Amino acid sequence: MQHLKYLFPYAGKYKVRIILGLLSILSGTAFSVVQPYVLGRAIDMLQHGPSLSLLTWYVALIIGAAIGQAIFAFAQRSTVSRVSRFIEYDLRSAAFRHLQTLDQRFYGEMHTGDLMARLTNDMNAVRQFVQMGAVNFMSTLVMLVVVAILMALINWQLALVAFAVLPFVSITMVVVSRTLQKRFRAVQDQFGHMSTQAQENFSGIRVVKAFVQEDREIEAFRRANDEYVGRNLSYVRLSGILWPLMFFVVGIAMALVLFIGGTKVADHVISVGQFVQFNAYLLMLTWPMISLGYTINMYQQGAASMARIMEVMQRQPQIRDTGRTLPISEVEGEIEFRNVGVRYGDTWVLRGVSFKVPRGSTTAIVGMTGVGKSTLMGLVPRVLEADEGEVLIDGVDVRRIPLDTLRRSVGHVPQETFLFSATLRENAVFGVEEPDERHLEKSLRVSQLAKDLEQLRDGLETVVGERGVSLSGGQKQRTALARAVMRDPTILILDDSMSSVDTQTQSQILSGLRGIMENRTTLITAMRISTIKDADQIVVLENGTVSEVGSHTQLLTGGGLYARMYRRELLRQELEVD
Amino acid sequence: MRAYFSSDQDEVLGKAYDGRLVRRLVPYITPYWRFLLLALAFLLGTSLLDLVGPWLTKVAIDRYMVKHDASGLKVILVLYLLALIGGFAFRYLQNWYMVYVGQKVMYDLRNRIFAHLQRLPLRFFDTHPVGSLMTRLSNDVDALNDLLTQGLVSMIGDAITLLGIIIVMFFALSWQLALVGLAVMPIIAVASRIFQIAMRVIFRNMRVRLSRVNAFLNENITGMVTVQLFNREHTMFGEFDRLNQHYRAAALQSVFAYSLFMPIVIFVGGLSAALLLWVGGHGIISHWGTAFTLGALVAAMQYTDRAFQPIRDIADKFNLLQSAMAASERIFGLLDQEPEPPDVENPVRLQGVRGRIEFKRVTFGYDPDHPVLKDVSFVINPGESVAIVGATGAGKTSLISILSRFYDIQSGQILLDDVDIRDMPRADVRRHIGAVLQDSVLFSGTITSNIRLHNTDITDEQVRRAAVFVNADNFIQRLPDGYDHVVRERGANFSAGQRQLIAFARAIAFDPEVLLVLDEATSSVDTETEALIQEALERLMQGRTSIIIAHRLFTIRHVDRILVLHRGRLVEQGNHDELLAAEGYYHRLYQLQYQEQEQPAGTALESGR
Repeated sequence: MQHLKYLFPYAGKYKVRIILGLLSILSGTAFSVVQPYVLGRAIDMLQHGPSLSLLTWYVALIIGAAIGQAIFAFAQRSTVSRVSRFIEYDLRSAAFRHLQTLDQRFYGEMHTGDLMARLTNDMNAVRQFVQMGAVNFMSTLVMLVVVAILMALINWQLALVAFAVLPFVSITMVVVSRTLQKRFRAVQDQFGHMSTQAQENFSGIRVVKAFVQEDREIEAFRRANDEYVGRNLSYVRLSGILWPLMFFVVGIAMALVLFIGGTKVADHVISVGQFVQFNAYLLMLTWPMISLGYTINMYQQGAASMARIMEVMQRQPQIRDTGRTLPISEVEGEIEFRNVGVRYGDTWVLRGVSFKVPRGSTTAIVGMTGVGKSTLMGLVPRVLEADEGEVLIDGVDVRRIPLDTLRRSVGHVPQETFLFSATLRENAVFGVEEPDERHLEKSLRVSQLAKDLEQLRDGLETVVGERGVSLSGGQKQRTALARAVMRDPTILILDDSMSSVDTQTQSQILSGLRGIMENRTTLITAMRISTIKDADQIVVLENGTVSEVGSHTQLLTGGGLYARMYRRELLRQELEVD
Repeated sequence: MRAYFSSDQDEVLGKAYDGRLVRRLVPYITPYWRFLLLALAFLLGTSLLDLVGPWLTKVAIDRYMVKHDASGLKVILVLYLLALIGGFAFRYLQNWYMVYVGQKVMYDLRNRIFAHLQRLPLRFFDTHPVGSLMTRLSNDVDALNDLLTQGLVSMIGDAITLLGIIIVMFFALSWQLALVGLAVMPIIAVASRIFQIAMRVIFRNMRVRLSRVNAFLNENITGMVTVQLFNREHTMFGEFDRLNQHYRAAALQSVFAYSLFMPIVIFVGGLSAALLLWVGGHGIISHWGTAFTLGALVAAMQYTDRAFQPIRDIADKFNLLQSAMAASERIFGLLDQEPEPPDVENPVRLQGVRGRIEFKRVTFGYDPDHPVLKDVSFVINPGESVAIVGATGAGKTSLISILSRFYDIQSGQILLDDVDIRDMPRADVRRHIGAVLQDSVLFSGTITSNIRLHNTDITDEQVRRAAVFVNADNFIQRLPDGYDHVVRERGANFSAGQRQLIAFARAIAFDPEVLLVLDEATSSVDTETEALIQEALERLMQGRTSIIIAHRLFTIRHVDRILVLHRGRLVEQGNHDELLAAEGYYHRLYQLQYQEQEQPAGTALESGR
């Protein structure tokens, strides 16, 4: 229950609807018990004192009750049944808003697939609980109580018999469906397995054919298919019992009531009309009993799912503005790393990193793969935060600069390009409120994307991603570059962001950037030293800390890692040349 | 940002019955006709036994209760219980056999589709996205199963139940009561049908809109850093809210549809009870006949009540039929695709391939009207290594594809050891001519399973040797589980360089006499891995006929001969120095594409000479 209590504030918003709904349920139930009662009286009338006028009266009553019941069924659905959809909407909105505040440490820990599962499947389970569970539960409960009393009023022994049998409907539902869920999950797992196998086969069909693996692939698929069918049948062996058993249990109750009730009619304890009335009540209870079983299961699923959603919702955003944030609206662009350390778990990736990047200069960060170059650059726009030491811009700790100002000042082009499935234009102007056409043209020119546009049929309006054209790695990187340049950033961060761009274009881009980056600060990393050797300052990272700082020529004479790396790069090319 | 994908299942509503398609489905069902017959028999039994309860109630009321005689009630109880037990067993067995047949048919169909796809030419995969093939294999097959298990059979069941109810009411109760019951049924049928049609549209809206919400969500989660770094949280939330509201509107429509439909069902239920009471009461009061008894009235009400569900079901099943017909249309469309032409009769089977390759005036185009290779002729001697260079679109990749017989050429001949590869079994061609393809495809499994694929003839030792040979052993050994290390879908847990090395190892493990390598321009490969790849490439080429689509300058300097393709024609050949000296097309290409690779080394080049 403790997890579902998080739903209360969401439900509280719709108090009025819920109360009106409850009233509709009560009124609807009141009307629904009229028909069996009238029917019973009519039967007794027909048996003991036939009267056409009374008959007309009874018929009218039944129709009237049906109208009343229908009206309140409509009212119930127009009030409380809608609430579940509103709550679903609110919950999803809140989740999305919350996700936007969480930082990369969170996204690093939690896989996209897992997160998506929570926001889709779990969200759905919660909605189903709210809709089916909570709403149906109310009407079921009202119905059960009212009808039970009416049944007991006719004859309590008979009512006892009925209530000794009927709960088995709910119990079966709970017990069977719990095992069913397990088996169903096994079916789903195998389905996923089989689909993955097929999907990989289709995507890799060239390899399959090149290595003449067709027959063996067919055999492998057949095995997966076999297992899938097997699990399905195992599921059905059990699931197939559910409905027959329901019919059976309800039937038993009917048969016992027919026998015992019949005997009581024969013994003049109750009238035929009362027996018919009782019988009708019994039928009315069938569905509520089944739905009670449903509700119990849904409650469990809903609670488990809500817990998984809350795990995300209760995550506190680590990177945000605080009371210590200063009212800064613009930065100049001088960066300083002061004794910076970052760790993942217990391992320090960076420790004691200190260096300055003067305003308007270009600093390259060099080091072997995995030394922490990206981590270090990510500290500037606070993609992540230092665990010790501080990163300063214009002498102010980045944690005291408003997040909005900070990020507005930084143009970040990451290693892995992420483009939205939208047009190229929308991607390029992604970071600006009111894009200026001239500025857009300039950004496209600098990023060398302009010449590619001619090749694309729809030019800037070409849709990229899932549903559109898939761009080459280089084109994607250059789009990301245009997107960053478009923002006119004070600080530009190029994190190995031209790895898929050919060398010639690379140098064109770099010289273009030099033109527009005057008075702006640039931080850059690259796989090849030749790309960055013209930087004003080169910082070499080794074993998580700064080992060398200087210009290209200075570092070459220093004879450290940088010189070694550069020599190796030259050597390789020399070898190629032979 | 409006381009989020919509659902693949926006199918157009078509016919609910198409004789041609149904006839094609029959062969899939016939192997299981015995089980199908059993299911039908049990279905009939269930429907009949379901009629017993109300009838026994009628007898109990008329014969015993009204006469205050309890003597026969025990017999009635026993009969009732027997009918229940029988009903329970029949219902279960009917369901079991039906599902069994459905599962078997689906199993066959899926195998059939998958096997057929394996035989289709690459041309087919070029034009059909994987997603749509997956839909055929899963959703469409499921739709057919629904047709079989829930559609046809339960429609028959519903029809039997309805017919049984009508017959019992007509003959065992009274025709007047039966008419009343029959009169309300069309109301339910029409209301259900209208409701189903509306719900179908609403559900489709919900599905499409929800998938948009989820696609947006997925994209935003993946790109959250970008959103945050570019201060786009607010805009993105606005967009999300719009999609979320859109979805909510569709969901509320479904609530509204139910809120109209359910009251109608409730009202019609009450109306039928009232009418039956009216007619039955009149019958009893005015002594219309002996058929009018209290028991008959009660039984008539129960029967009518029980008729509601089958009517609603039948209305429901109509949609199912439409979906199934559309699905089978798509499935058969797929199965009708021409497979790769069969191997020639009495194909030539080469023993001990030396590896001589000859192209004799080869012309080929994916579209025959637009050849990408024109009249290309050359010979590659056994053990010779050859690089193919040319600008993008010169026909390099096509050359590899036709050598593997992924596509057949339009004219000319390709000879392996002087035998036309079309005269050889396709599988043999691919066994002798191994290919390392551009995108290093990995499958989920282990490193070992990725190197030997399904070929159990390749031992663990051979797998390891292959890996050592291509420099992959080192990084594999460092993995926690070594060669048993899990490869995730698409090899996502390996770097591009590592994937390429594994693909090399795979080619070597299969030990083909001729090797084709598409040397991809790999991005983000660090210096060390780059060196490993180059070394591996060099070893691959040694002593084996090899054709390499060269990207690296290194490679083209190490091959015996270079073939230069330009606009589908072979324009020059020779070794690097000869071609440079000739100052022809290669010379220009070299300056354009390769020279910059050595630019930073310019000084070293000078001093080295």
